[in-house]
Amino acid sequence: MNNIYLPNLVTIEDIYEEAPDVRSFRLVFKDPKLRDTFEFKTGQFGLYSAFGLGESTFCIASSPTRKGYIQCTFRKSGRVTGGLAQLSIGDTMGFRGPYGNHFPVDEWKGKNIVFVAGGIGLPPVRSVIWNVLDRREDFGHITIVYGAKTVADLVYKEELKHWEARGDVTLVQTVDPGGQTADWKGKVGFVPTVLKEAAPKAENTVAVTCGPPIMIKFVLNALLELGFEEESVYTTLENRMKCGVGKCGRCNVGDIYVCKEGPVYTAAEIKRMYNDF
Amino acid sequence: MADKILKKADLGKLIESVTGKGGRFVAPTTDSRQIVFKKVKSAEEIATDYILARNSFKEFLFPQTEVVAEFTLGKDTVDMRGVEVHAPQTVIFGARPCEAASLKGMHALFTWDFIDEFYTKREDNTVVVTVGCTKADDACFCTTVNLSPASTEGADVYLREAGESYTVEAITDKGKKFVEAHAAVFGSGSVKADPLVMPEKIANIDLAKVSERLKDKTHYDDKVWPKLTRKCIGCGACTFVCPTCRCFDIVDEGTAFEGERRKNWDSCQYDTFTLHASGHNPREHQHQRWRNRFMCKFNFFPEKFSGKGCVGCGRCVRVCPVRLDITEVMEEFSK
Repeated sequence: MNNIYLPNLVTIEDIYEEAPDVRSFRLVFKDPKLRDTFEFKTGQFGLYSAFGLGESTFCIASSPTRKGYIQCTFRKSGRVTGGLAQLSIGDTMGFRGPYGNHFPVDEWKGKNIVFVAGGIGLPPVRSVIWNVLDRREDFGHITIVYGAKTVADLVYKEELKHWEARGDVTLVQTVDPGGQTADWKGKVGFVPTVLKEAAPKAENTVAVTCGPPIMIKFVLNALLELGFEEESVYTTLENRMKCGVGKCGRCNVGDIYVCKEGPVYTAAEIKRMYNDF
Repeated sequence: MADKILKKADLGKLIESVTGKGGRFVAPTTDSRQIVFKKVKSAEEIATDYILARNSFKEFLFPQTEVVAEFTLGKDTVDMRGVEVHAPQTVIFGARPCEAASLKGMHALFTWDFIDEFYTKREDNTVVVTVGCTKADDACFCTTVNLSPASTEGADVYLREAGESYTVEAITDKGKKFVEAHAAVFGSGSVKADPLVMPEKIANIDLAKVSERLKDKTHYDDKVWPKLTRKCIGCGACTFVCPTCRCFDIVDEGTAFEGERRKNWDSCQYDTFTLHASGHNPREHQHQRWRNRFMCKFNFFPEKFSGKGCVGCGRCVRVCPVRLDITEVMEEFSK
């Protein structure tokens, strides 16, 4: 029988410590056939199993331009993520997916892109960033505004260095007031404020944002103030999910099932939704 | 027109005919002083004087808990195995027309894009035999949601009480095959059906108006929600007895070495249902969770799945420990 709840087995090929309690896994499918044939699109998510503890939902943080593996990034916060955090390189876990819709990156060719992320909201955006950077010539100016509570909480520190060093990306990093260290060279301030100061031009530009719900709300407002069209601003809603396939009933925002019709939405679509975030 | 009859004295033969072929026969029976749907082995066990079983028969299609996978963990190995669904041939006998009307929406949900075979394989093997109601109580409101004791939606075979017999009407092909398969038990003859008892339509409820008002998103933050639902204690009992509620959780149970992955009933009335790992909760307050359930019943579930979100069986009204009556909220939204 076709069992939609049965995960595939994946091996942890590498582990990266990103921030306190935040780590990334590089995962490869145990089934060699699936390793070759597995495909996903930027913005899709999966359900990751720690056997004996259950499943958690995270986006796929790697880009579909990088084949042969997937990466996920998570914060150790509950039972399942606590269990996942105890796993080592070579260990086995479960993966179901990919599920949900995706960022329409192919439609953005020729446009500028502004990425705005906060804290652990960078992983879903990272998939889009690498998808775009891996075919850099297809896009215009690229700006990344990223902030976290403290310097330690910034994830993908090595990649931030890389993006900063690249001549073809404008990276603006910030930490919340009080979160800076003595040698911090980035900005100090909340992401929406720093975004307004950076003031990327809205013309022919697409914005992609993810972060805590409250940050997303203020970032959307800031982008509209900067002149962005609601149809050109994208975000991803990371609601709690159990099935991932439109059945279990907890990810809905009013009539919208995030797992099936999302998780990626434009600000225009968000505006039409019920106020249930 | 009913073309067959079933003598009540022959119910035992019908049970034998079904169970003799390896099937299970489910009917309202008395358990712990309540009328509940349960597997029965003899006609004597079947309740004769009841309005509605306390539980919905949904648990025979969508069990309260079921194993979807098993795993064994070795030192360097993980074995994860899917399990086959346990889907015996099942007859649900004595269901009411209201609750059978829940099946269309259930089917739509469990087959929406991804097919949940744990549901569909059971559904394929289940015959629903409804009996039109000759009794109702104050909690019954099927007629208010455009159903009635004469509705056949969701039923494979529709029976009506007729003194010492039932009139028999096969509704679906599955129902026809069922009647043919047990032809020896069903007789023919002309009997007069007892009158159906129609619950009175609640005058102040206009279902179309409820649906229309819920579509207007401005109601969302209306104070009417906390006002009407403040007394809800979030026990979730309404969702478990409801024939159309089907939200579930997926959990692992077992030891560090072996265990099962289970699909368990869950309830949108619980505060942990939507709680994020970050501590953020999109439906933090009980009235928001209540609003979600009401919206599901009368707004998005019917629109999305063309099925009934509420069948008016009144189970939630009967079971609620704080007497929060859904029809009172329907009345408010009919204004």
